[in-house]
Amino acid sequence: MSTATNFATAPVNEIVMNESAAVVKPIYNATTSIEVNNVTVSFKTPAGKYTAVKNISLNIKKGEIVSLIGHSGCGKSTLMNTISGMVKPTEGKVFSSGVLVTKPGPDRGIVFQNYSLLPWLSVYRNIYEAVDSAIKDKSASEKKKLVEKNLKMVKLWDHKDKLPGQLSGGMKQRVAIARAFAINPSILLLDEPFGALDALTKSSMHIELLKLWNLDNREKTIVMVTHDIEEAIFLSDRVVVMNNGPAATIKEIVDVPLERPRNKKEIVHDPEYRTIHDKLLNLLIEKFSIEDITD
Amino acid sequence: MKKETMKTIINKLFVSKFKVTSLSLLYFIIGMALMGGIWELISYYTKYEIPSPKMTWVVFKEVMQNPMQNDPDYKGIGIKLISSLTRVGIGFGLGTLISIPIGLLMGSNKITMNIINPMVQILRPVSPLAWFPLGLAIFQNSPKASIFMIFICSLWPTLINTAFGVSHIPQDHKNVGRAFGFSRWKYISKIMLPYTLPHILTGLRLSVGVAWMVIVAGEMLSGGIGLGYFVWEEGFNGGSVAKILVAIIIIGIVGLMLDRIFMALQKRFSYAV
Repeated sequence: MSTATNFATAPVNEIVMNESAAVVKPIYNATTSIEVNNVTVSFKTPAGKYTAVKNISLNIKKGEIVSLIGHSGCGKSTLMNTISGMVKPTEGKVFSSGVLVTKPGPDRGIVFQNYSLLPWLSVYRNIYEAVDSAIKDKSASEKKKLVEKNLKMVKLWDHKDKLPGQLSGGMKQRVAIARAFAINPSILLLDEPFGALDALTKSSMHIELLKLWNLDNREKTIVMVTHDIEEAIFLSDRVVVMNNGPAATIKEIVDVPLERPRNKKEIVHDPEYRTIHDKLLNLLIEKFSIEDITD
Repeated sequence: MKKETMKTIINKLFVSKFKVTSLSLLYFIIGMALMGGIWELISYYTKYEIPSPKMTWVVFKEVMQNPMQNDPDYKGIGIKLISSLTRVGIGFGLGTLISIPIGLLMGSNKITMNIINPMVQILRPVSPLAWFPLGLAIFQNSPKASIFMIFICSLWPTLINTAFGVSHIPQDHKNVGRAFGFSRWKYISKIMLPYTLPHILTGLRLSVGVAWMVIVAGEMLSGGIGLGYFVWEEGFNGGSVAKILVAIIIIGIVGLMLDRIFMALQKRFSYAV
């Protein structure tokens, strides 16, 4: 059932599964941002070969926000890392804007799970070093302007000389987001970006992320790994639900056709939101009450 | 005012981790008093064969007179100290110049680790004294042999700690370098070295401690001007146990100060994540 839904729900995918990898060509057109093509990732472990994700195909349109959701260890981060280029697929291919992904590149900005700021560099230097490395064709003063613009965008310009250790979790995450935005990628990859934040900070971070996306004319494609259903619905156009690993596949892709801009307070009363929420809950959770515990 | 400066000095030297409170100062005084008491008892039961703190203090003041006296036939204690420190500095400095790069190389790569590590593990436990005759054979010169001895012995802690630091750079930091396409040089200067620096400083702290310990043995063997020779010649051969005790106290305090300098540096370059 799960393999069938893979294809049924990926509307622009025309790839036949049995086609050998060598002849697979990207079905690139102006609206395709990311193409994940029949990707399998296996790792060698002391206990033998471990397959994290298996035969995953997924197309993401330009400017789309897509969440990958699933239980811990279901390979959603692994799938995302094949898009970022941090993990090389064992089989299959990933294309970013029609170009084969072989390693991380400046077209894809990554926000890591635990912020991954360099603790010995100031907020400013953390972003500057990334910009300096990722953008080759700009002068130092242009790069500095970029850093300034992005730090002001996340309202951290006043804290630019602080070390990451002096910041709160929410502020660190904003630095990480500013760093990813500063290299002006067409694709933004967020790996459980708000997982470590408290519920209140998380909420305001959602709004801030959408605001940044709006400021950029909704042109950036955003892929986000999460295990938070509300977060996934509020932010996404589509939610990709993954099966449990090992050898995880896509269980189902749920559309979220809620109108934008969305309002955190009002959206929860929208009947459509409730329907999507219940659907995702049913896909992810089997036991809802103590009566469901059978053993 | 004077009390304040004393406080800050003690603060820096002995209890740098905590602020000096009147309480910690009190503990310090209790510790010192306890040591003095035990010393006094030992003197008493050895019938002052081992001089009491008071007797030692008299000799201490005597030794401390004209510390910078620099006559051909007599060198002041300051001159001796500087001479010892210079030897330690040269041996330890040369050792550092070699151990840090090798440590970086060793830690950054499994192959180099596997090649260099067995050599290190075989040479590291060798007693400092065993290196002295080898140095003598190489240089035909005893002061150079004692520098050689310090050099060899101060290599290992820095080398091992540096290698450990480099090989334990968190994946998160490496990911930043990969994700944003850091050049090799940027990776080294912005990720590898800053992460490894506290480990290097730990290594240096241990190395300078070893070097300072070894210098006394080295100078006893090589003679010349220095604290080690002072212990042997003026203390033991001169029949003055008090001078031996004075030298032990000076060696101890200088060793502590060297340790605290590196400890302070280590703290300065450690970062909260």
